[in-house]
Amino acid sequence: MTGILRVPAARTVWLNWLSIVLGLIVWEAIARRLPHIVLPPPSIVLVRLVEDTLNGKLVVALLGSLEALVFGLALAIAVGVPLGFAFGRNRTFAEMFDPVLNAIYAIPPVAFVPFLIIWFGLHLPARVALVFLMSVFEITVAVTAGARDVNPNQIDVGRAFGARRFDLVRKVIFPAALPFIFTGFRIGLVRAINGTITAELFFAAINLGALMNDDARRFDTAGLLSVIVLLSLLGLAAQAALRRVEARVLPWHIRAAA
Amino acid sequence: MRRLWLRLAGIAIALGVWELVGRHFGESLFAAPSLVIAQFVPQLFDGSVLPVLAGSLRQMSIGFALAYALGVPAGVLMARSKTVDALLHPWLSMGVVTSIAALVPLFILMFGTGFSFRVAIVFFATVWFVALTIYQGARGIEPRWLEVGRAFGAGPIQSFSKIMLPALFPYLLIGARIGLIHAIRAMVVAETFVIVGYGALIHNSGLSVSTAPLLGLLLLLMLLGIVVTWVLRKASSLIAPWYEERRTA
Repeated sequence: MTGILRVPAARTVWLNWLSIVLGLIVWEAIARRLPHIVLPPPSIVLVRLVEDTLNGKLVVALLGSLEALVFGLALAIAVGVPLGFAFGRNRTFAEMFDPVLNAIYAIPPVAFVPFLIIWFGLHLPARVALVFLMSVFEITVAVTAGARDVNPNQIDVGRAFGARRFDLVRKVIFPAALPFIFTGFRIGLVRAINGTITAELFFAAINLGALMNDDARRFDTAGLLSVIVLLSLLGLAAQAALRRVEARVLPWHIRAAA
Repeated sequence: MRRLWLRLAGIAIALGVWELVGRHFGESLFAAPSLVIAQFVPQLFDGSVLPVLAGSLRQMSIGFALAYALGVPAGVLMARSKTVDALLHPWLSMGVVTSIAALVPLFILMFGTGFSFRVAIVFFATVWFVALTIYQGARGIEPRWLEVGRAFGAGPIQSFSKIMLPALFPYLLIGARIGLIHAIRAMVVAETFVIVGYGALIHNSGLSVSTAPLLGLLLLLMLLGIVVTWVLRKASSLIAPWYEERRTA
């Protein structure tokens, strides 16, 4: 699972693109037989996407959305990484609180919305709280896995060379767990993007959520799809970007693309 | 034995902290567990909650069943054929990152707010994760096993039913578990947005003075998730005891 550099063969890349083109052609063919309210063809969605990007509508909304995204994700990282280390390195703590964590994790995040409204209102604090809730568990779980699976031999070597507890964490355990921390960031980031748009639709509609609400009111399916496509592309791009950063920062550990 | 005590202690500590915090803030902000139980348990048995949940779950299970029926073969095909993999993977990656909440306004325009809308949302939220889990499982099947089968004269049907299916079995259950968790989440997203079924209960209890009924509804969902996870894990260890799941989530 680790340490394998999966270079996609040229044929695979070619087939990937072919699949995207084929999918768009099929979509276009189906959409032309249907009313545009039900399913607009991709050509129209693409035109909308480009138009709304150029006239600034999508850009302004997206920049507005970043606020809750950044605050929520930063909080989730600040809580999830130390919590993950506690779960991964302290067996007693893990045994005690693993069931509690799993139990809270089992609650669908959107079910918290009325509760978050009571606590945080309908605006930025509520959105930050939902983004936090939707990403913190994924980060905790990934970091836990990383901190737990540090090779005991490495720790022994560190000890043999006289590293004390703090040094051990800083120089051995932390670097060894870094790939998992990155995985946690990557999953957390995608979840945070989803959390942001969820919050913008379920609390007071704002930014991209407000755009979608307006589109829905005008039965503008193409507008809705252009926002969804933009968000999905953003999620994919964010993942790819973090993989790049990971390869730069951790050149000794390039993980298989999953 | 020590493990059990630690777990019970952890749960007791969590409940204790909740009770203290709840008493500090009062029931309008954060009802304490004692209050939640006192208020929610009678409500649970007066017929205003469980039938609604059952109705929501029935619709959810249709969307889930469709997603599972399509996701499993798709995952197997992707794992067995590089071409199918290359053709399906871009859409799979896209589907996994797509926000279900963002799809809700779109699907309302496409399907209305009724039965087909809820089924479509659950289907779309689930199918990618089922396919991905099965794909990862089926990719782990050693080609050697299939070669041994072929060497002993197994045809394609036999090598599927006697080699691939048993090897896949744990993943079929993991796929069902992960899929169901996503299906329940999607059900809540769809129902809270259009205010029907169990989602309507959650939405309406958010408007009441006390947070006890709301927290009760959340606890019920939590219990549902735990039971689903527990049953499918147990089933997996009974039916495929050779397979020790690696702890990833």
